Amino acid sequence: MTLSVQDVTVRYGGRLAVDHVDLEIADGEVVGVVGESGCGKTSLARALVGLLPKNAEVSGRGVLRSEHHPELDLGALRDWRGVRGSRIGIVPQGAMSGLSPIHKVCAQLDEMLTIHGGSSNPTELLDRVGLSPRELGSYPHQLSGGQRQRVAIALTLAGDPDLLIADEPTTGLDAVVQGRVLQLISSLGISTLIVSHDMTGLLPYADRVAVMYAGRLAEVVPVDALRDVRHHPYTAGLLAATPSTDRTVTWASIPGAAPTLDAELEGCRFAPRCPLADDQCHEERPLLRLVGTSEVACHHSERSSEATYPAVPRATSDCGAPVLDMTGIEHTYRSRSRTTTALDGVDLHVGHGEILGLVGESGSGKSTLARIALGLIKPSSGTVRLGDDELTDARGRRLRALQRRTGFVHQDPYDSLHPAMKVEALIAEPLVIAKVARSERGAKVRSALAAAGLPQDVLTRTPGQLSGGQRQRVSIARALVNDPELLVADEASSMLDVSTRGGIATTLRKVATKRGLAVIFVTHDMGEAIQSCDRIVVLRHGRVVDAGACAQISTSPDHEYTAQLLAASHH
Amino acid sequence: MSTDTAPLVVTGTSRRRDLLGRQGRIGAVLLTLIVGAAAYGYFVMPDDAGKRRVGLPYESPSAAHPLGTDDLGRDLLEQLLVGAGTSLTLAFMVAAVTTLLAAIIGGLAGIGPRWMSATIMRGIDVMLVLPELVLFILAATFLGQGFGIRAVILSLILWPVPARVLRAASLTAWSRAHVEASRAMGAGQGWLLFRHASYLLGPLLVPVFVRTAMRVIIYDATLSFLGLGDPTAPSWGTTLYWVQVNGVFLSDAWLWWAGPPGLAITLTVVALALVGTSIEDRLNPNLQESR
Repeated sequence: MTLSVQDVTVRYGGRLAVDHVDLEIADGEVVGVVGESGCGKTSLARALVGLLPKNAEVSGRGVLRSEHHPELDLGALRDWRGVRGSRIGIVPQGAMSGLSPIHKVCAQLDEMLTIHGGSSNPTELLDRVGLSPRELGSYPHQLSGGQRQRVAIALTLAGDPDLLIADEPTTGLDAVVQGRVLQLISSLGISTLIVSHDMTGLLPYADRVAVMYAGRLAEVVPVDALRDVRHHPYTAGLLAATPSTDRTVTWASIPGAAPTLDAELEGCRFAPRCPLADDQCHEERPLLRLVGTSEVACHHSERSSEATYPAVPRATSDCGAPVLDMTGIEHTYRSRSRTTTALDGVDLHVGHGEILGLVGESGSGKSTLARIALGLIKPSSGTVRLGDDELTDARGRRLRALQRRTGFVHQDPYDSLHPAMKVEALIAEPLVIAKVARSERGAKVRSALAAAGLPQDVLTRTPGQLSGGQRQRVSIARALVNDPELLVADEASSMLDVSTRGGIATTLRKVATKRGLAVIFVTHDMGEAIQSCDRIVVLRHGRVVDAGACAQISTSPDHEYTAQLLAASHH
Repeated sequence: MSTDTAPLVVTGTSRRRDLLGRQGRIGAVLLTLIVGAAAYGYFVMPDDAGKRRVGLPYESPSAAHPLGTDDLGRDLLEQLLVGAGTSLTLAFMVAAVTTLLAAIIGGLAGIGPRWMSATIMRGIDVMLVLPELVLFILAATFLGQGFGIRAVILSLILWPVPARVLRAASLTAWSRAHVEASRAMGAGQGWLLFRHASYLLGPLLVPVFVRTAMRVIIYDATLSFLGLGDPTAPSWGTTLYWVQVNGVFLSDAWLWWAGPPGLAITLTVVALALVGTSIEDRLNPNLQESR
C-alpha cells in the first residue's frame, strides 16, 4: 500500500468540499478520481500535497509508505520540503504554463534533478516519457502541447517519487493526444492518482476509479468491474451521459444540477437527482459497502440496473425548406506580416427543423463560419442567404434587422450573460433591441423560458445565482425569444458538465421540432454531434472534408480524418 | 473542456465592495482636509488675501502671522490657503478634461474602424515620445502663463497615456461574450456601450482622473517654481519661486517659508496617490487577480 487516505475532510470557511473520504492506492496502481465540477476531486488531490488555499481547513490522515522511506503522515506534515517533488510528484494541469518559457528543456530537467538530488540524468528522463534526446535543446514553445506535457511529466519523475498526482493532466490537448498522455502516465509503473472530469476518457488507462459526488465518494470500482451492472446510479448516469459515436447507444442526461457547497442535504446527496431515490435515501446517509469487487455508497445498489435517465430525442420528421444558404465562403485573417486562411470555399445549408452539426478541432474554422452565419464577421468572399435575404452585402441598419432573425448561444455560459442583469431583462434584451412593444414582452419571455426548460422563479435572479447549465438555458431562451428562423449554438455545451450536456441537446431538439427552427450546432465532440444532430459537416483547416447524415458518418465515414475523429472520441 | 473552478458567486451584499480600504481611506481624509482648506481660502478669506501686505517683511512666525511673512510683508499662511485653491482647481479641471478626452479618443481607437484606430494609435505614440514636462515648459513660455492657458496645455499633454489604457479596456470589453451575444442580436454600438460595456469601462475612469490630478499638481508647481507661472497669483509653486529668488535657503526662514508649500504639495500628491492606487487595485480586473 503506497498511499492510504483516511477520513480526509476539507472545508472552505465552514463549507464542506470534501466529506470524510477514504481511499487507498496500491503499489503501482493507477487510480482515477472522477466527477463533475465542484465535486471536491481537485480539493482532495490538493489536500494530499498541501497546496490548498489559506482559507481551507483540512483534517484527516494520509499515510505514505514505501520501501526506501519511513512512513509519513501527510496530515501532520508542516514542512513539505523533501516531500513534494521527491516523494510525491505533481503533474501540472496546463502544460502551457507548467514549464518555464525562457529555459531549455535540459536546464529545467537539470534544475529538478539538483533540487531533489535525483540519480537519473536528463536524457534518461526524456527517454522514460518517450521523447528523443534531441528535445533537450528545445525551448517549450518549440514543442507541441503533447510534447510539453511529456516534458512536464519528465520533470516530476526527476525526484523519483513514490506517488504521482495528476490534476486534469490533459486539459487543452486534442482528443488523440489526450489518450497518448494518459497512456504514458499509466505505463510509468508508479502509483498514480489522476483527477479527471472525463470518466470514459480515463477508463482505458486506470486500474480503479473513485467516483466523487458533492464531496463524497459515491463508488470506488475496479475498471474491469465497471461493465458489471451493479454499481452506483450516479456512475451509471455518468456513463450514459457521455455521448457515444455509435448511434445505437442512447445518450442520456441526469436531470437537475449538483448541489452547491453550502447546500445542507440529509441522507444521500445524489437523491434529488436519482431515479431510484425513496424515503430512505433522503433520510439516511449511505455508507460505502462492498458489492462484488467494488465499494458502493448506495442503498439500492442491487437495483441500479433499473436506473434510467431521460434520453436525448432524435429527429422525428424530415427537414423543411432551406433557411440558411452559404455558398463559396472564404475568409482570411490578416495581421501585419501574415495572412491566415480560416475558411476556404465552404458551402453550407440548413433547413427548417434541422439540426446541423458542425464538427472540427480547434483551428478548423468552425467558429468563424458560425460568426459569418450570424453576420458578425464579413467573409472575404462568398454569399450568405438567410431566407430570401442576402446577408453578406447588408450593412448598418439592414444588417441589424437581419441579425434579429437569428439567435446565438455563446460557448461560455459564465461570460455570455451580463452579470448585473436579472434573468428577465437578459431574456427580454433582443425584444428591447428589436423595439417590440412592452405589452408583448412578458408573454414572449415566459414562453421562451418554458421552451428552454427553466422554471418561472429564475426570472428575478441574476446569473451569479445560477448553475452553468441553467445559464446556458437562459442563453437559449434569450436566443429564442424573438422567434428567430436560425439558431447558432457555438460549442453551447462544451463548458458544461457531462451530466447536463444531454439536457441542452434535448432542449435544442425540442425547439427545432416545435418551432421549426434551423439549428447550427458547433462542436468538437464527434459523439455529441452524432447523437444529437441530423446532418454533420466535418471541417478541417477551413475546408469541408466530410458531410452527410449522422448514421452514415458514424458507420461509414468518407474521409480518413473523420475516421480519426471517430476513433479518438470512441470510448 | 470543463472549468473545475466553482463559478464565482456574486451575491447582493458582496457586490457593494469596499472601494477604498484602509490605505485609501487615509488618502481620502487627507484630501478632504486639503480641499477644506482650499475652500476656506477661496470662499471665506478676502479677495486680495495672499497679495496684500499685512506685516513687515521677513517676519518670523507669530500669533498674528502663524507662518510669518515674505519679503514684501505678505502673510505666508494666506498664500498657502489661497494657493491651495489655485492648485486644486487647476488639478481637478485638467483631470476632468483629460479623462473625457482620453475616454473619447481611447474609445474611438478601440471600437472605431481600423484606419481610425491606426491613426490615433500612431498619434499617441508620437505624443508619448515627447517629454511631457519639457513640452509643457516650452508651451507655457511661448503661449503665456494665464490659468486658462496652463489648463489647456496640460490637458492636451496628458491625455495620451490614459487614452491608451482606455483603448485597451474597450477592446477587452468588446471581446466579452455578452457583448458579442448582444451584437449578434442586432444591437447598435450605442446600446453595446451603455448597456454592456459601461460597467466595465466606467470604473477605470476614476483612477485615470485621480492620477491625472496628481501629475497636474506636480507639473504646475514645477512650472511656477521655474518662474514660468504667473508670479502675481499666489500658488504653492509661486511661493517656492520667491523662496528661490530671495535665497531664503541661506537663512532659517526656509522652515516656515519653503516648508509648508512643499509639504502641501507632497501631502496632496500622496493623498491622491493613496486614493488612486487603492481604487485602481479594486477596480482594475488585471490587478485584482494578482492581489
